[in-house]
Amino acid sequence: MKAFAIAACLIATTALAQERALKPESQVKLRKSAYALMNYNFATLDAMAEGKRPYDKEAAGKAADWVANLSEVPRHFFGEGTDKVGETRARPEIWQKRADFDAKMDTMVSEAKKLPHAARTDLATLKKAVEATGDACGACHDDYRRK
Amino acid sequence: MRVRVWDLPVRLFHWTLAVLAVFSFVTGKIGHGWMAWHVKSGYAILALLTFRLAWGVVGSDTARFTRFVKGIGSARDYARTLLARSPAPFLGHNPLGGWMVVLLLAALLLQAATGLFADDDISTQGPLAAMVSEAAVRQLTRIHAYNEWVVVALVVVHVAAIVFYQGPLRRNLIGPMVHGSVETAAPAPRLAPTWFAAVLFGLSCAAVYYLVAILPPSP
Repeated sequence: MKAFAIAACLIATTALAQERALKPESQVKLRKSAYALMNYNFATLDAMAEGKRPYDKEAAGKAADWVANLSEVPRHFFGEGTDKVGETRARPEIWQKRADFDAKMDTMVSEAKKLPHAARTDLATLKKAVEATGDACGACHDDYRRK
Repeated sequence: MRVRVWDLPVRLFHWTLAVLAVFSFVTGKIGHGWMAWHVKSGYAILALLTFRLAWGVVGSDTARFTRFVKGIGSARDYARTLLARSPAPFLGHNPLGGWMVVLLLAALLLQAATGLFADDDISTQGPLAAMVSEAAVRQLTRIHAYNEWVVVALVVVHVAAIVFYQGPLRRNLIGPMVHGSVETAAPAPRLAPTWFAAVLFGLSCAAVYYLVAILPPSP
């Protein structure tokens, strides 16, 4: 139920973003917030995958729901010019190679969406899904995020 | 006369470091599934470097910094003889090679040390990242990312120099780093006992273990 509520909120937010043009600095704030929350929840999954924290289906499932739902958010807040405002590490290449950026974003979203099921299956499956998602995150960081 | 120029600890240190440096570079590039190994490799490198610094002070003659770290002047003079393809013979590191050792050790130490505080914002965190501010983590992660290429550049120069000696100058530097001995008229350097190196390496491992396993607060 909670996952549905979160999803509903997110869909509402993203719908809003599409309806009215958000200020560039607001977009930066929103996408960074989403990334920060993804990172926080992904850390839970990663700790279990690496055996630093005992595997717990319920906790893993919850964290995975968050990551999966949040993964949809950032792409809506990468409007033109949002690499030049506030504190952002977004590189201008995002807009120069938008198709590639979008493709990498798609991969990240689709990998993240496998997490909830994997988290509720078993540790070995979770581990694989965590690695695939981590790689998908890293692919964008390498090319489109300033160091 | 055949003289032992590199003691066993220096040789073991050298080749283990070479393998681990390549391994660290590769695992860092492959990423996620290999990052746990990248981190472990960094710990091992840190222990090796700690040992080498100590060995450079209290170890064998040819390992000591005071013996092979010379002024810029003598490095320049040596470079001239090198370009003239008749380098003066040195038992141990020559003045230019000495600076290569210092630069490589410094760059690798910086790389290993910043790695302790680095965070890739995905799943890999250095063991000490939790102990410093976000701004510090960010800065140290950047240094870790840029200095990586400084290390690569130094390794390229180092290997190119070896190739230059091996090829045009017909001087085998790889052999002595493997078996330890050279043909020379110079008096044999004083070599420190291997057990002493083992003790120092044990202490180095203990220091690194403290840094990465005991010092950090448990999550």
